[in-house]
Amino acid sequence: MSASMLFQNALLIDPEAGTQTRGHLRVEDGFITDIGTDLIPKSEGEGVIDAQGQALAPALIDLRVNACAPGINGPEPLHITFKAAAAGGIGTLVLSPASGQGITRPEDLEWLDYQALSAPVRVLGAGYGLDGEDGLSEIGLMLRAGAAYIGDKGKAIADTRLARRIMAYASTFDAVVSLRPDDPFLASGTIAHECDMAARMGLSQRPGVGERIGAQRDAALAELTGARLLMDRITTREGLEVLKTAKQKGLDVYGSVPLTHLLFNTVDIGSFQSAYRFEPPLREEEDRLALIDAVKSGLIDFVVSDHTPMAHFDKDQPFGDAKPGTQALEALLPGLCHLVAEGYLTLAEALRAVTCCPAAMLGLDQGRLKVGAPADLVLFNPDAPALSLRQPAVSTAPSVFAGRRLAGKVIATFIEGELVAHAPTEDHA
Amino acid sequence: MSADPYAYTFPHSDLLSVGGLNPIDLQMIFTRAEEHFARNQGEDKKLGTLKGLTQINLFFEASTRTLASFELAGKRLGADVVNFSAGNASIKKGESLADTALTLAAMKPDLLVVRHGSAGAARFFAQTTGIATVNAGDGAHEHPTQALLDSFTLIQRWGDVAGRRIAIVGDILHSRVARSNIALLNLMHAEVRVCGPATLLPGDIDQWGVSVFHDLDQALEGCDAVMTLRIQRERMSNGLLASEREYGALYGLNHQRLEHAKPDCLIMHPGPMNRNVEISSALADDPDISLILDQVESGVAVRMAILELLAQKAPSMTWQDRVNYREGDA
Repeated sequence: MSASMLFQNALLIDPEAGTQTRGHLRVEDGFITDIGTDLIPKSEGEGVIDAQGQALAPALIDLRVNACAPGINGPEPLHITFKAAAAGGIGTLVLSPASGQGITRPEDLEWLDYQALSAPVRVLGAGYGLDGEDGLSEIGLMLRAGAAYIGDKGKAIADTRLARRIMAYASTFDAVVSLRPDDPFLASGTIAHECDMAARMGLSQRPGVGERIGAQRDAALAELTGARLLMDRITTREGLEVLKTAKQKGLDVYGSVPLTHLLFNTVDIGSFQSAYRFEPPLREEEDRLALIDAVKSGLIDFVVSDHTPMAHFDKDQPFGDAKPGTQALEALLPGLCHLVAEGYLTLAEALRAVTCCPAAMLGLDQGRLKVGAPADLVLFNPDAPALSLRQPAVSTAPSVFAGRRLAGKVIATFIEGELVAHAPTEDHA
Repeated sequence: MSADPYAYTFPHSDLLSVGGLNPIDLQMIFTRAEEHFARNQGEDKKLGTLKGLTQINLFFEASTRTLASFELAGKRLGADVVNFSAGNASIKKGESLADTALTLAAMKPDLLVVRHGSAGAARFFAQTTGIATVNAGDGAHEHPTQALLDSFTLIQRWGDVAGRRIAIVGDILHSRVARSNIALLNLMHAEVRVCGPATLLPGDIDQWGVSVFHDLDQALEGCDAVMTLRIQRERMSNGLLASEREYGALYGLNHQRLEHAKPDCLIMHPGPMNRNVEISSALADDPDISLILDQVESGVAVRMAILELLAQKAPSMTWQDRVNYREGDA
């Protein structure tokens, strides 16, 4: 690594300021040290990268990745997950509490730290808030061991008293509590969103109001306990309404949305394609458009990949028997660029939800394009078709994006100024 | 190979749902079924049209009449018929469905008849194996041969179902029979009514080309036929219904209630019946009104027609032909 490096002729995307400008950016010793339109290479020893007008943005921060770790080597070994993140322009990823056999003890986070030593990207873990059926986990020790946030295992916690206690206890440490807003009883045993399409297909369904009921409970508990609440993967108009009200009340709440729910809707499951089985299930087009609007307005704070690698035989099943989820790390940036190409969002609006917003919640310095910030950067062509997703570059887990043409191609990813992934050089010009 | 270049050949290589059929397809199915129906009355019921072909009946859910009906249909057409059903070893050994499908496909059957508890399972088999597949019921999705045999039974009585008013009563939400029948009867221009408590009707069912009733007497007004559905006992225990007694009182069919319908109204039931719950025993056994056994009889003839039409495509097509055909189809 050269200690000093200059990116020339880049389209600099600053999601925090909401700007995109042509210019140059200098990296020294892993930090951004200068941004301007008139930077010239220092006489000696400085590496120069000609961006040829391509976009340069903070590397992405993905708040929800369901890795096959710690503890087991699942269908996707951990180092492949990390490599896929780097290839997808993601600089920081947070493993969800349900990753592998669960991140439930401080030791799990220490183990993860150890695994992350050789990772090309920054890796954080989120801790599971419960121990067994009805006890609290060692939330304090997990936070001390570096847990990014405390959460459930992707399914709503049915017991309201327990949810309250997790939030109250976590608020002691000013930690964010991530809860899936849902009514577990309405959701129980269902595989599809309640709508005409799914009814005709004979799939068991849950109504959108389930999310509203869950979100309202969690918002009320946040108000009661003063906890910082992340509404994990809002997917309906009903859920958005609650998030909006909670924010208007001045509560410390955040909302995330999975990439898949910005791109697909119930119509996609119409031919029983198991690839489109997700948890929470795909919603209606009105929901999808409302979610995109919420990303645009900033009501939704984060877009997450919800990367869920699995074996192919887990997906190769009739719709209802297939495991929910998809690999998505390498699709996160192209998926967002796709929404930009379709005119729904500007690049800065799209990237805000995967850079400076998650950085602000977690108190991280990266995720911003400004002098003094760590040089976690992604160089990409927002318009080039990402056809390589037909055969994903790194992750080979089942993908709903396989064969789908998305816009946006990652050219190179840098962490602390160091190149950690790059596309084959011939095709980005 | 047809001599007439303009002849319409049955275009489907699978029967997965009613949705893909057009009126000419239906005409072809019913014309053939009529021939088979007549032959089945006689002493020599055997035909050789499927001689040399192998039919596998793959039933992941318990079934008596549908399995027997498909088995008889295949055998009467001369096919070699093999049954795999729910208690079967390979199914229970935890093998994935894709592996089961590929294993069976490797034995080179020509026809697959699939029943499975998951919606879309028959389509999954068709796509995985490329073998002509008949959906014999997939979860709450569809049961197309049941709908075809129901309409065939009515056509034999009436000549046509167009313009007839037909009520479907009971658990529409969980019923594949209802979904297939609603689609087919609409295709044939019948007037369809559905009736049941709100817990057993899909929320948007008024979009399905039916009128919706919660009161049975109102639903029966002016009906030419009534299809009652089997009520599953487990609906009582999970809060969808109160009790058999209450269901019977509200939605059970009997002679007295049938007076709200047209005088010569007919009764159908896909079986197996819960006597004196969804239908009174006396009504079920009334030969002037009940078509229940006629449905079973029609079933064999209709399934013979379907197997024959699908088999026309099956032997001459290679796997690649079928893939090309599917892609051209889409």
